Amino acid sequence: MGLFFIFTKMRYAMKSTLLGIFFILLHVMMIQAQDKVTLSGRVFESKSNETLIGVTIYFPDLSTGTITNEYGFYSITVPQGTYNITVSYIGYQNINESIALTANTSRDFKLKENLEELQEVVITKDVEKLDIKSPQMSVNTLKASTIKTIPVVLGESDIVKAITLLPGVTSAGEGASGFNVRGGAADQNLILLDEATIYNSSHLFGLFSVFNPDAIKDLKLYKGGIPARYGGRVSSVLDIYQKEGNSKAFKVNGGIGAVSSRLLAEGPLKKDTGSFLLGGRSSYAHLFLPLFDVNNSAYFYDLNTKLSYKLNANNTVYLSGYFGRDVFKIQDSFENAYGNAVLNFRWNHLYSDKLFSNLSLIYSNYDYDLKLNFVEFDWVSGIRNFNLKYDFKHYISDGFKLYYGLNSIYYKFNPGDIEPTSETSGINPFKLTDKYAFENAFYLDAEQRLSDKLEVSYGLRLSSFLRLGQTLNTYENDQAVIFNQQQQIYEKADPTGEVNYKRSEVIKSFFNLEPRFSLAYQLNNESSLKASYNRMSQYLHLLSNTSSPTPLDVWTPSGKYVKPQLLDQVAIGYFKEFEQNTYSLEVESFYKTIKNRIDYIDGADLIANNAIEQVILNGKARAYGLEILFRKNKGQLKGWLSYTLSKSEQQTPGRTPEETGINRGRWYNTPYDKTHDISLTGSYDFNDKWKLSSNFIFQTGQPTSYPVSQYEYNNISIANFNYRNANRLPAYNRLDLALNYTPKPKKKGYQSSWVFSIYNLYNRKNASSITFRQNRNTGTNEAIQLSIFGIIPSVTYNFKF
Amino acid sequence: MNYLKYILLFLILASCEDVVTVNTPTEAPRLVIDASIDWFKGTDGSNQEFKLTETAPYFNDGVPPATGAQVTVQNSNNDTFVFIEDGTTGIYKNTTFVPVLNETYTITINYKSETYTGSETLLPVASIEYVEQNDNGGFTGDETELKAYYTDPAGEVNYNFFEFISDIPVIPSLSVYKDEFTDGNTIFGFYTEMDLSTGDMVTIRNYGVSEQFYNYMFVLLQQNSQEGGGPFETQPATVRGNCINVTNPEHYPLGYFRASQVDEFIYTVK
Repeated sequence: MGLFFIFTKMRYAMKSTLLGIFFILLHVMMIQAQDKVTLSGRVFESKSNETLIGVTIYFPDLSTGTITNEYGFYSITVPQGTYNITVSYIGYQNINESIALTANTSRDFKLKENLEELQEVVITKDVEKLDIKSPQMSVNTLKASTIKTIPVVLGESDIVKAITLLPGVTSAGEGASGFNVRGGAADQNLILLDEATIYNSSHLFGLFSVFNPDAIKDLKLYKGGIPARYGGRVSSVLDIYQKEGNSKAFKVNGGIGAVSSRLLAEGPLKKDTGSFLLGGRSSYAHLFLPLFDVNNSAYFYDLNTKLSYKLNANNTVYLSGYFGRDVFKIQDSFENAYGNAVLNFRWNHLYSDKLFSNLSLIYSNYDYDLKLNFVEFDWVSGIRNFNLKYDFKHYISDGFKLYYGLNSIYYKFNPGDIEPTSETSGINPFKLTDKYAFENAFYLDAEQRLSDKLEVSYGLRLSSFLRLGQTLNTYENDQAVIFNQQQQIYEKADPTGEVNYKRSEVIKSFFNLEPRFSLAYQLNNESSLKASYNRMSQYLHLLSNTSSPTPLDVWTPSGKYVKPQLLDQVAIGYFKEFEQNTYSLEVESFYKTIKNRIDYIDGADLIANNAIEQVILNGKARAYGLEILFRKNKGQLKGWLSYTLSKSEQQTPGRTPEETGINRGRWYNTPYDKTHDISLTGSYDFNDKWKLSSNFIFQTGQPTSYPVSQYEYNNISIANFNYRNANRLPAYNRLDLALNYTPKPKKKGYQSSWVFSIYNLYNRKNASSITFRQNRNTGTNEAIQLSIFGIIPSVTYNFKF
Repeated sequence: MNYLKYILLFLILASCEDVVTVNTPTEAPRLVIDASIDWFKGTDGSNQEFKLTETAPYFNDGVPPATGAQVTVQNSNNDTFVFIEDGTTGIYKNTTFVPVLNETYTITINYKSETYTGSETLLPVASIEYVEQNDNGGFTGDETELKAYYTDPAGEVNYNFFEFISDIPVIPSLSVYKDEFTDGNTIFGFYTEMDLSTGDMVTIRNYGVSEQFYNYMFVLLQQNSQEGGGPFETQPATVRGNCINVTNPEHYPLGYFRASQVDEFIYTVK
């Protein structure tokens, strides 16, 4: 199949999409015949000019309203008239005013912090009233301030650790990289930092996440009902926004903790017009190696930067960057460094008071470097991409919004490059074949109010993936894995030859239509029912056959032997608020299936494997569950109780009746399948100086495999295993406490606070794994439980001026 | 590339290990074939012995021998070598074996009315040329490291199996190597042990093995590694060797029938 054919096909698909947009627009214009006016603008925080996301602009007379988008912009169209409006955001003073709307009006609002609740903490979709109505479900929002009050190990506030306290989100265990959403794998989460994809979310093998909480404004986690503007991963979207920086005054804040120190500076480039933000964080060297030789070191650092500039009322530009790195060194014999680098240019443009646009140009790079001096080699691998996104938000009428746009990503994958580091090295240089791909998508998403009680959103994403030319192995019958009938095992097939494709050639192409649909039906003012369906495709796969991903795992694109993952998810939910949103309850249930989840044959060696197709098969996965989130949003005591009951499993049946499939074709638990997952998080404000917060977590033990017998081979004792993940570790539970102390909360200028925290208060030895081995001295068999964190007290000092 | 697993040690430092009691599941016993034709360089290779045992529940004290089996090995000319059990030890011996390089041998075992069989080719091996010792090795810098150097034959695919057996009471250290990234070079088998001291003897054996054995042993060692555990653990599974049960395929045996030329080097720790 040539490029030409693909472009023809794409052009056809584009054309029909555009035609669809046209008809919808026509329809919209016709229903919009009356004399209506549009109120639009942005909402800022008054002291810093930081834009605020999710602020409600509400018209009580009309019982209608809107919320600000990721760039603080809002637009609402109402009949001409004079109205009272309320601008509200939790933790800020409401603005109530009367506004005469006779023509289209542009109006910015500045919200002042609510001093009574200076240390306001909320986990909330801040627009509770409207949220009941909005068809968007399965989404959780966390503010940086909330994340900072959650007690965490070693006192390091952590975005990823915070979201695992929400229903439907878990990790594969302490010290495991990444997170798992609704039974999905860690590589199925789309992690966006200011719209740029982050490939590795963990520092120090998962002990900390790569996001500096000081530089973060807001985050949203979509677990289901994912809008069509997102694509490329099948499980979830974690959309993180960095602060823009204070454009009024120069400010500094920072912290000194047990593991790392942080410093962030922000200030105006030009007052009220431009700002900068520069934040750095670094752990102390020798972190985990204080008892050993000084030649050992292990540390991480990251740097967040952002420049924002408002060119005029309709144009704002942003330049943001993220750079993070982990470094390990042992004894000069081992050197390991890896990290993400992201550079991102964005242009916000208002075509009209109803049409908001954002153009992003993004460069993202992840690389992994390992030097082993005792075997004298240097190993480098990585993934690099260029990403163009053009997104439009079209506020057509009060009851109708359109989102549309396109996204193009060019990828280069370096699966590995081995170089000897000395003349005498026993290693020959070897380069694994680079891979190239081009991913494109168009989407259209509509949000429509059908009646006072019913709101729907529906959309379509058309995605395509082109695998570009490289040298590729060929196999008999195109089967890179063969089944050894006699021994009943899968084995690598020997390649029959090689084909050299030119870079401009397309080896394999995929097209997918991804429909998205959700609806909200309001039962009364305080409760609603919601339902959603989404189909998504994922063209990249992280090659990993361990319980949790490791930094050296490489990404591989779909192609001739690896099919794209396809997800179908349905979810239903019941949402209710009590006593004017003092309490809220969310109950959701989901079911999802994923096609083409790759699975690894027994004993697959993924490291430096140039023919990965020889060790993988296309399987499937499914997950289902019930999630309950009960929150108290106001008052001295705030917090939430979340409970998830779920199942997550995968299956790789044989391709023919003669084949057994992986795990003999049976469904088996994924490593992150946790039947029960309970977390209770609360904070209590004694006064404006003292605040206590606490977490309690209980989870069913992680699936694992216990041996069914032992045997002796070559004078060592061998544990013999049978089915995968058929057993479970003991249940996991712990209690954490943190005490926040702000000595002079009302003081202007330099202000400081202390956080005293205790992780795992009752020092439970939670099993991270249980492994079986022969004692090296006595020769007897034993089971070894590995527990990562016992009780860990820590102190962090934070300051700002 | 097993060295990459060294990374795992980091987590273990921040953590603690405890021996715990676990109720493991059980299954019906299977035959375990520990049968290797080992032709040591400089010998005629006429004395060969195999060990047959059965599997046992994981925490049982040892495993029972498989006694009363009929064991034969045939070469490609259908010359048959009968292996006779030494009492009821489960150890089967032949003293008239004739090893030939690159010859394919087939083992046949009749045990408890079931017939098991498997084949392997006797592969040559490169000799160990010299051993280097480093007393400041390992993660903590106080382990004794030994590197046993050999020259990999260029232009062909080779697999090696190394055994390091020290006379101090520790279990033997086994490892397998392939020459994918080291073809034709002088490279080493690697051993590290913290309890070695001057005068201790380490027997080092280098075996020439097949790709199938390499794959078998690679997975077996990975699943039974001393550094296992933590979030970077691969899901363990049944590791099938090269022998099958002809009578009842579901009741498959464990273990392997290997045939190798062996080079042995006895090293005295300095």
